Amino acid sequence: MHPNGGKENILKTNDNVKSRRQYWILAFASPLLIFILWVVATSAEWVRPVLLPSPGEVAKSFSDMLLNGYSGVSLFIHLLASLTRVGTAFVFGSILGITIGMLRGRINNVDAIFLIPGEILRPIPPLGLIPLFILWFGIGETSKVLLIFVSVFLIMMVSAQAGTRSCPADSIRAAQTCGANRYQIFRFVVFPSALPQIMTGLRVALGTALSILVAAELLGGDRGVGFIVLDAANFFRTTYVFAGIIVIGIVGLLSDRALAYAGRRIVHWEGRR
Amino acid sequence: MDMSSTLALSPQSTSEQSEDAARSVKPILRFDRVGLEYDGRDVLKELSFSVNRGEVITVLGPSGCGKTTMLNIVAGFLQPSSGIALVNDREIAGPGPDRGVVFQSYALFDWMTVEDNIAFSLRCSGKNRSQQNAVAKDVAKLVGLQGFEKSYPYQLSGGMRQRCGLARVLAANPSVMLMDEPFAAVDVQTRETLQEEILRIKTETKCTIIFITHSIDEAVFLADRIFLMRKGRLGAFDEFTVNLPEPRGSSENRLHPEFLSVREQIYRAMRADAS
Repeated sequence: MHPNGGKENILKTNDNVKSRRQYWILAFASPLLIFILWVVATSAEWVRPVLLPSPGEVAKSFSDMLLNGYSGVSLFIHLLASLTRVGTAFVFGSILGITIGMLRGRINNVDAIFLIPGEILRPIPPLGLIPLFILWFGIGETSKVLLIFVSVFLIMMVSAQAGTRSCPADSIRAAQTCGANRYQIFRFVVFPSALPQIMTGLRVALGTALSILVAAELLGGDRGVGFIVLDAANFFRTTYVFAGIIVIGIVGLLSDRALAYAGRRIVHWEGRR
Repeated sequence: MDMSSTLALSPQSTSEQSEDAARSVKPILRFDRVGLEYDGRDVLKELSFSVNRGEVITVLGPSGCGKTTMLNIVAGFLQPSSGIALVNDREIAGPGPDRGVVFQSYALFDWMTVEDNIAFSLRCSGKNRSQQNAVAKDVAKLVGLQGFEKSYPYQLSGGMRQRCGLARVLAANPSVMLMDEPFAAVDVQTRETLQEEILRIKTETKCTIIFITHSIDEAVFLADRIFLMRKGRLGAFDEFTVNLPEPRGSSENRLHPEFLSVREQIYRAMRADAS
């Protein structure tokens, strides 16, 4: 397949196999080390269990949540409530952010309109918006979803704009000399050029969305993994706090890996030019 | 001259023959005192020349002499601020598939296969999939890319990528092919092969080529005429005619006395200019 011949590639592939194996050994060794430190620190009683419970205690709380739920609601329902909030905010925030970001990248007037409002909004921490959102939208689903939505939107707007701007001038010119109209240039050249940065933006946005989840679930309600963490913290049930955090962490890990995998398939040309 | 005055005197009596003759002498590309100002500074001034159908023009000159600006005006990327630039007797109004550009940076679409890159102009003009593939297949064969239709550009070497860039232009069947240092990024052996291929393709397709280069050898080997542009003399250029034997793509021509003689003339002209 490769016009440069095969030999070089075989060498490279062997090298790759070796370095990939090392990569995965390290990837699993680092959390294992943290876990061992955790076991040692708790069994040697360097810290009080109410501040840092042992893995065994956390596992016990975790299985209790799995079997009996938390505050009378099954863990699955909590998880579903959180995922619905994050998912809704992520999907709509991404669509709007990518659309406006790409328009900003292509049309100077659109960029001008969003420049100052966008940059004023961006440094405001989501937690700072909570009191306002309670005033404006109450403590229902709307405020929770909107809080996450705003963060996703801002991240995606920036990355889609940067991606659009990164399209090389020669690629656009090449398309023009092929007779492409404005729409075709956008659809076949500018949009694919922006995809690598959009995919990276999606990963950042999803991670941020999950990190804001707990804050969003501060806004009242009795469902959600963030609610479990906050509620358990209020009652010093530290083992449940940890179990909740681990659930959110695992959701984050799995969703990030899924997005990274999809990204490699979609933007297969990235880093190979 | 005679032909046009005859035509002007008796417009009704144009036989098919004289129409053909008129077309063959009529330049495909004409610049008439074209100037371009950029940031209040002249980049090009009163540049006039014409190119006949089927000619290969190579353009030599130091950086900043305006050769890329000239090419960009032909491509339609830049509008002249004075004078007039015509292709097929029509003023150039913007980029279009009748003037294809082969870029030094290749400017391939990395997300498309080689065949989709090649057929892009057909896709833009609404041709269906099977028409696109048929043309892509033919053109891939013409430029020596057969078997790589389903590859992606990043799987190709530099020389093969530029073949793809060339094929994308050829598929649109342009009146003029514009090439801006297309082989500057490939190694010497590949470069010479590609030069020979260009002349072979030119013979097969009878296309007109304007080719910018920094290499005197490349300029002499490819050209029917060479424009040597000078820095600080915007719009003024020296012209050299090359009369090498057919087939023009033969590598033997690199050792031909005419090749060596033109090369020397250009070398001396450039030296005189530098001192």
